[in-house]
Amino acid sequence: MAVESLVGDIAPKPGSTILVTGAAGGLASIVSDQLSEEFRLVGVDPRPMPYGRNFPGAFHMVDYAHRKMADVFRRYQFSAVLHLGRVAATSGLSRSARYNVNVLGTRNLLSLSRKYRVRRVVVFSTFHVYGAHQHNHLHLTEDEPLRASQIFPELSDAIELDNFARTFSLQYPEVSTLILRPVNVVGSKIQNEISRLLRGEYVPKLLGYDPMLQFIHEVDVARALRLALDSSRSGVYNVAGEGIVPWSTAIELAGGVALPIPHLLLYPLVGALSPISRIPKHLIDYFRYPVILKDQGFRRDFGFAPSVNTVDALASVRGGRGR
Amino acid sequence: MSGIASRFKQLLIERGLAPDERHRVQHAPAELNSAGIDDWGLDPITLQAALGACRWLYRDYFRVETNGIDRIPEGRVLIIANHGGQIPFDGVLLGMSLLLDAKPARIPRGMVERWFPSLPFISTLFMRCGQMVGDIHNCRDLLEREQAVVVFPEGTRGSGKPFQKRYQLERFGTGFVRLALETRTPIVPVGIIGCEEMYPAFLHLKKLARWMGVPYVPVTPFFPAMGALGALPLPTKVTIRFGQPIRFEGDPDAPDSIIEEMVDEVKTALAAEIREGLRLRSGRVFTGSARDQDSDDAAARLGRSDGR
Repeated sequence: MAVESLVGDIAPKPGSTILVTGAAGGLASIVSDQLSEEFRLVGVDPRPMPYGRNFPGAFHMVDYAHRKMADVFRRYQFSAVLHLGRVAATSGLSRSARYNVNVLGTRNLLSLSRKYRVRRVVVFSTFHVYGAHQHNHLHLTEDEPLRASQIFPELSDAIELDNFARTFSLQYPEVSTLILRPVNVVGSKIQNEISRLLRGEYVPKLLGYDPMLQFIHEVDVARALRLALDSSRSGVYNVAGEGIVPWSTAIELAGGVALPIPHLLLYPLVGALSPISRIPKHLIDYFRYPVILKDQGFRRDFGFAPSVNTVDALASVRGGRGR
Repeated sequence: MSGIASRFKQLLIERGLAPDERHRVQHAPAELNSAGIDDWGLDPITLQAALGACRWLYRDYFRVETNGIDRIPEGRVLIIANHGGQIPFDGVLLGMSLLLDAKPARIPRGMVERWFPSLPFISTLFMRCGQMVGDIHNCRDLLEREQAVVVFPEGTRGSGKPFQKRYQLERFGTGFVRLALETRTPIVPVGIIGCEEMYPAFLHLKKLARWMGVPYVPVTPFFPAMGALGALPLPTKVTIRFGQPIRFEGDPDAPDSIIEEMVDEVKTALAAEIREGLRLRSGRVFTGSARDQDSDDAAARLGRSDGR
């Protein structure tokens, strides 16, 4: 799927300006601290910056789909766009709000990138697009169809984001667009659902099911994004950490106690609680059937090797074994 | 919780396996990650514990003997065997032979049906023991990582055949030969004697099977007439005969006619092992060994009969 760009050296030069979406999120804060040493950063997010945190650069609170986004593009000459602003199904936002951010927002960002001659765009998608299903091969390549569209209509916005970016990268090769599909990101700083889950004392697991999961440490995500910015390859790449572990082992490594719950009970329970808990029912399937990515492509084409192994990555979620 | 589970596993390993078996199994080639698990979900500790728990089935109940097991080459290999006897004990016993009797021990990578992962507990256990969904991608990946993959090309056509058709090979699929050509994997044909009499099924309840969503529901003289007791396999004597490895070369995309010739070659070699085994056993289903009288591992076999 990878296509080497034909437009020459497109990596952003030191001192040039990079747009970071999702700037108020945990992932952006991890990534941008590192990038700000070399680049000028501009952060955007529809959410306000959390109290007590500063973005290392200019920050604009703006909806990605809003016409004000064009003003931001006009004002700065972006050499690259790092689109980390996908909102997860667990964010608590309604389906239409998520559609607005993920689909309409991404479309606007991509067309603005083209209009304002941004050379490099990196889109941070998710492994969830493959969908959790009993018929999955054990190791999914980037060519696999995105089955989640069929089984989890709740994820349609995430799939459309991924598809949109993919089509865009083929349609407009003048913008070198790379789509990354990372596995579960864990670490002491990141505030995603999986890390929150693993930080709990008792962590639910399905009784009788123990699928394999993949994890990547937040530090390695930052490194992967850095490599992605520096390369001129476009296309879709799976990004994973070192090993693959059963969910029960992951819980143990994170220092929690697994709480087995029968799946016949859990589906209705989570369904009933979902308005409060923000956990959609379909997520349970990711703890029932494996969704394991083959990440050889990214390792080979980008020279990536995770620096934190799975054991240390999971041990770090409570901020204990500090990395 | 996990402390109790791991202590229980240790107990099964220590009580269940003889020291030299344990040593061999622990050194079976596998690539483990930092958490001690491989990319397909194999957990060697769970595998050893399961083996410890089931060893009596292999050694005492079915009194399994092997013939020519030293013919298994190192590195990637496809192990092709006959399938029969309703409940696939043949797969379990063949897998155990690779762990308990092969030198060096090999982790058997078996393929399960696609609906299998939806079963709780058992699917997890099988995964931890190195089994996975029968899928060409999984199979290719495993061979490329130098693993021993066990395939029954008859599939449920074989395991579901009635008693009167025992040891008559059903149609073989051709996928395994194409895969062997593509990955340059030697094929070891294996004839399993004794498994096709465990459940002498004379009838299949087709409608019930369709309703339950399973491949077949067999009726034997004992099942369902004797209930749960009738569901036990008969304690037949099992011999697993490993043939000489076959190495094919050629185009994996060759037309079916060419591939089918290769499949026939494997099938003929497998049928020869079965024929020879049945001749040696000469009708003694519960006692007769189907081993070659002058085989190399006969001495090892005698040595094993005492003290364990």
